[in-house]
Amino acid sequence: MNQKESVRNIIPWDGALSSSDFFCAASAFSEKWKRFNPSAPPWLWVPSPKHHLLSSHKEEGYLSLEDMCFIKSSEDQESCRSQTWKEESSISQEEEAVDTATLVQSCFDEVNHYDFHIVYSPSYRVPVLYFRSYHSDGQTLPFDEIEKDLPDYCAKIRLESKWTFITHEEHPYLNRPWYKLHPCGTSEWMKLLFHGDTSLNKNGFVIEHYLVSWFSVIGQVFDLKIPLAMLETVSC
Amino acid sequence: MAAPHSPTSLPKVVVHLRATGDAPILKQSKFKIAGTDKFAKVIDFLRRQLHRETLFVYVNSAFSPNPDELIIDLYTNFGFDGKLVVNYACSMAWG
Repeated sequence: MNQKESVRNIIPWDGALSSSDFFCAASAFSEKWKRFNPSAPPWLWVPSPKHHLLSSHKEEGYLSLEDMCFIKSSEDQESCRSQTWKEESSISQEEEAVDTATLVQSCFDEVNHYDFHIVYSPSYRVPVLYFRSYHSDGQTLPFDEIEKDLPDYCAKIRLESKWTFITHEEHPYLNRPWYKLHPCGTSEWMKLLFHGDTSLNKNGFVIEHYLVSWFSVIGQVFDLKIPLAMLETVSC
Repeated sequence: MAAPHSPTSLPKVVVHLRATGDAPILKQSKFKIAGTDKFAKVIDFLRRQLHRETLFVYVNSAFSPNPDELIIDLYTNFGFDGKLVVNYACSMAWG
């Protein structure tokens, strides 16, 4: 481990991580999430079944957060983020009064349930977010309905950005089709995130905070916030 | 002790916008912004200045702030030297 770390200090980091590093990063992430974000459902490690092709040792598996509920309303005010400067100043006072964690709306049309899995991709060597959504009766949501749950600016980003596009393919462990955020740009922007401070790349710091930083970007696609306190541990 | 909440008494934060990668450098890169504004204002400002919808915006502590975060909170926790450094990169083309 020491030799690997010293090599890492010399060679510019490529933004990716190994499978065992992912396991360490996942442990650190789920522990921090539990500590700083206790009101949210927890991230749990799901070990891959022994007979699975991908599992070569006990650290294979993925992180799972299940049954995150998105409350839909016909107004959908909370997910409307495309505000102009003028609008911002006038509605800022109203927004302060709304606590999104305890949102009580008179029009409780539907609750959409989301399952999120963070799965390691051996080919890209980065984490990948898989997700699926379903109604309370278990019926799967089609993608155009999922889009309505996402903040407006995210739809724009997904259409125009080349690093956050969504594909529909088989979950690597569950043999069922899930949606995933394609990982092709991940190592590039992970490299950028840690690039600002080279002193970060020491003593396993990058590995411990990899998923926190990763999630600060990925979570925005679904407007899943990371509490600032959780991010605070990232800075030296 | 509490100051009246008039616009003139709101704390202002100095934000330093730093281009990274091949992103264009702004002529004017330091701004004062009200602490009570959301980070979304910085993002929107960058988008308008650079005429791009997709930007990768992040702070030095290795994360990308949610647009809803208040500038003052970000400055308090991650600012140094009297300013909040916000890095930006352009959306790169991926294979």
